[in-house]
Amino acid sequence: MKLTLRSWRWELILVVLIIFAAIWSSTLSPYFLDPVNLLNSSQFFVIFSLMAFGLFPIVVQGEIDISLASTLAVGSVMIGKLAVSGIPMVVGLPLTLLVCAALGAINGILVAVAGLPSLVVTLGTLGAYRGIAFIIAGDIGVTGIPEEYLTLGSARVGIVPVSVILVVVVAGLLTVLMAFTRFGRYSYSIGSNHRASRMAGVPVAATRIGAYALGGASAGFAGLIWVAQYQSARGDNADGTILFVVTAVVLAGVSIKGGTGHAPAVLLAIVLLGTLQTGMKLANVPGTSQTLVIGSLLIISIGVPRLVEIARDKIAALKPAQETTTIKHVEVETRV
Amino acid sequence: MSAGIKTLTRRFSFTKGAGALRGRFIGVLVFLAMLIVVFSILNPRFLSFDNGRSILFTAAILAIAATGQSLVVLTGNLDLSVGSIMGLVAYVVFDISGKVPELQPFVLVIAILIGGFLGFLNGFFVSVLQIPSIVATLGTLSIYRGFVSFYGNAREITSGTLPPWMRELAMAIWLGLPAYVWVAFTVVIITGLTLRYHPWGRKLYAYGSNPEAAHFYGFSSTQIVTGAYTGAGIIAATGGLLLGAQVGNINSLLASGIELQVLAAVVIGGVSIWGGSGSVYGAAIGAVVLATINNGLVMVQVQEFYRLLIQGAAIILAVAVDALVQKRALGATTRRRIMEVES
Amino acid sequence: MFSHNRNGRRLLGGAAAALAAALLIAGCASTATTPTATTPDEGVAPADMIKIFMAPKFTGLAYFEVAKVGGVEAGEELGFDFQYIGSDQPDATTQISTLTNAIPQKPDALVVSAIDGDAIAPALKLAREAGIKVVTYDADSAVDARDLFINQLSYEFAASIMLDAALLNSPDGGLVGFISASPTAPNHTAHVKIMKELIDSDSKYSSLSYIDTVQFAGDDAQKSQDLALAMIQANPDLKVIISSSAVSAPSAQQAIVNAGLSGKVFATGFALPSSVKDFLKNGDSVAFALWDPAELGYVATVAAYQLATGMITAEEGQVIDAGKAGKYTVGKDGEVLYDKPLMFTADNIDNYDF
Repeated sequence: MKLTLRSWRWELILVVLIIFAAIWSSTLSPYFLDPVNLLNSSQFFVIFSLMAFGLFPIVVQGEIDISLASTLAVGSVMIGKLAVSGIPMVVGLPLTLLVCAALGAINGILVAVAGLPSLVVTLGTLGAYRGIAFIIAGDIGVTGIPEEYLTLGSARVGIVPVSVILVVVVAGLLTVLMAFTRFGRYSYSIGSNHRASRMAGVPVAATRIGAYALGGASAGFAGLIWVAQYQSARGDNADGTILFVVTAVVLAGVSIKGGTGHAPAVLLAIVLLGTLQTGMKLANVPGTSQTLVIGSLLIISIGVPRLVEIARDKIAALKPAQETTTIKHVEVETRV
Repeated sequence: MSAGIKTLTRRFSFTKGAGALRGRFIGVLVFLAMLIVVFSILNPRFLSFDNGRSILFTAAILAIAATGQSLVVLTGNLDLSVGSIMGLVAYVVFDISGKVPELQPFVLVIAILIGGFLGFLNGFFVSVLQIPSIVATLGTLSIYRGFVSFYGNAREITSGTLPPWMRELAMAIWLGLPAYVWVAFTVVIITGLTLRYHPWGRKLYAYGSNPEAAHFYGFSSTQIVTGAYTGAGIIAATGGLLLGAQVGNINSLLASGIELQVLAAVVIGGVSIWGGSGSVYGAAIGAVVLATINNGLVMVQVQEFYRLLIQGAAIILAVAVDALVQKRALGATTRRRIMEVES
Repeated sequence: MFSHNRNGRRLLGGAAAALAAALLIAGCASTATTPTATTPDEGVAPADMIKIFMAPKFTGLAYFEVAKVGGVEAGEELGFDFQYIGSDQPDATTQISTLTNAIPQKPDALVVSAIDGDAIAPALKLAREAGIKVVTYDADSAVDARDLFINQLSYEFAASIMLDAALLNSPDGGLVGFISASPTAPNHTAHVKIMKELIDSDSKYSSLSYIDTVQFAGDDAQKSQDLALAMIQANPDLKVIISSSAVSAPSAQQAIVNAGLSGKVFATGFALPSSVKDFLKNGDSVAFALWDPAELGYVATVAAYQLATGMITAEEGQVIDAGKAGKYTVGKDGEVLYDKPLMFTADNIDNYDF
């Protein structure tokens, strides 16, 4: 990964937007700049961050997975049920992660081996896994979770919640995974051109299934965080949240066609969305305005730079004199 | 089995133009037949004319929405804002017509104007600003829905204020079938014929199959994509209006979440998510498939928990069947052509 | 083409982003200065002014909007700062986020209707630790997470009211089907369970029988209609469809009217009078039930106010004097029964304007 300033352009834009968002939020509400409040509010976004991280390799490969929220639900109710049956976390967590990774792998197999379009497959598993979550959870869901499963929800290092630190760590791991391992290189390659990749010997199917399994596992882990933070689990957990996760990944400048995108940008995108949302909520901005702002952000963040580029192109096209100058330049150089 | 398909494909020439479209169409019909057989065995009441009529009625609006979505999907894009457009149009138009009764005969015209505008905006974002369609329509989904919430302010529109002619349309039965079914039928046929015979329709398919080639051929992608989205907006607006009249009491959340169902219907119906192939007839049948599943599960008294599981599995199965039939059909004909060339 | 301008393009991208941000700020500053508060949101309300937030499940539903009217009225009468907070999405995590962000604003009390009563508990406990009183209304949270729960109708009362409404529609009894919102909605599941028990055991309802499988419509109007039609097809003897959901009950009735089955099949349950006015007047339906959400909201807010000012505690036996709305006694586990159902029929429907 070239670390030139140019390739980190989108991250710079995000940072600028975050600063503006922070300024705006603090004018909206005097409660915004309180570090304790900010850290409390940021805990809310841990679950979405983990799902977004899991979605990232999949989108880089040029596919999509909208069933992650349902996988989270399965993870959360599974952990809940295991927890109340007295199974220790050191057994319960890996078991759940395995199951969720398997659910992800099913998506991967259907996409990579059977060749079905990923949007449709995950549309189907979105419903199917949600059903499984309901079946496991039963009518009333799970409560009365033993203490050891709840530590991640409340533990802190100083004033910083452990779950937030976890997010930063996972972001770092994801960056390393995508930038420095074969899996990462294969993913970008598949996303750019999967046919060429296959001919070049890249194990396309295995990499795809791997990415989906990883996505499932991260959703399962997010399920653990859910149980830890909300001390309960129900079949409808996280229902409808997948659009927010897709928004975050898109806002991170990851091309939906695959082949590009940086992992740190995903974290920055969540920070941006979080800053805006927290600011609005602290000021009790009406719910409808909140929806409008987030929706507009998506369109503006990509649309405005494009508008500017189009305008530039149009203006430049009105200056034919410049072209002859350029040609002259070339001629001079070749002679020399 | 493959011999039968060979004959079928020879008969209907699945490799050329319109024939290829028919190929994808068969897949969804096969799946629908499978469903009908399974449900009829599990509960013979399923096969009654009354029940069939009920299924068609519940499929009607979804079929209309799926038709509109097909236009967009055929260009290789998506329209996730269809639910928001439907809800916005239904709420705003019926609110206005409730306050200004003189406008009641014109609700369809107003709806088409609003829906066309919203669709045009989508098209603008996607083709001019080149925002990827998932992103753009995800954004407009929130913006349009946010607008309805803002406009409606949690007020409900009651059925008494709806134009009486629309209310009657929701209840009417023409020639044994509900009026809505006939309306859906008409929308699907008109759109299908336009796509098949009108130059713009053929341009749409060409562009969807190969955007670069279409560009070199001189087609304006902006025109085609914007046109597709505008058309989808108009059709969605019509569907929204009908939905509002059917539901009676309208709140600002009407049709929210329908986009995933619409996409499912379109894909089940054999419209390729990558664009360029499939037909609106298939999408309409896809809507019927979804309605059949929903109805059948109630018929068979399946618990809610299992319903989600079965619906999800059914979607995957439908696409798999479709892919299988497609592969078989193409495989049979391709082999034949290779043999022909050699001899 | 402009390769020599790549740096320029990057700067331009950054400038564009800044411009975008500025547009956002400008555009949203105008919408942000219209909160539904009665005082400016700089937190400089008079130091001794009590501040109470009402958080419905979500802000898009007319039912909660009516409850808000009651809360606003309480604020005006008793002279405290009443604010209506929440998102327009029916999402549990969003509601929790709303409440978590309400705590730093230091209200004196929260009045909440919970989407997920268990998931919301940690946030509510945090609020109580910060000295904020928590009163739930309409949909309860975990018992140890709130001080009081203003229950519109006890589950038993609610179940019997709905069955009474069913009998009013179909005096000869018949087959009953249930549509609930979601398998995880505790009040709906309780209602259905008790209704089934009453039909089985109570002689008053002996003429009724029920379909065991419950259908779930998720408070979606279209889904409610499709389910109602399917249920009618699957059970030709179906007489009454009962739903606790104020969205599903009228939608199901509308589906029956659309299908031309008025008078043969009925839908009933809880619904806002404005939604069912036409059905009652046209004779499609005989009775629907509910309570006065505005008064419920009023009582809940008054209770929160009295808790916050120390006029009452949350102990069993304490009496909440809600003035014109009546007196209510705190029962077991902090539950306060409002228990004032309303039965809407063609005769009295005109008396209600919500």
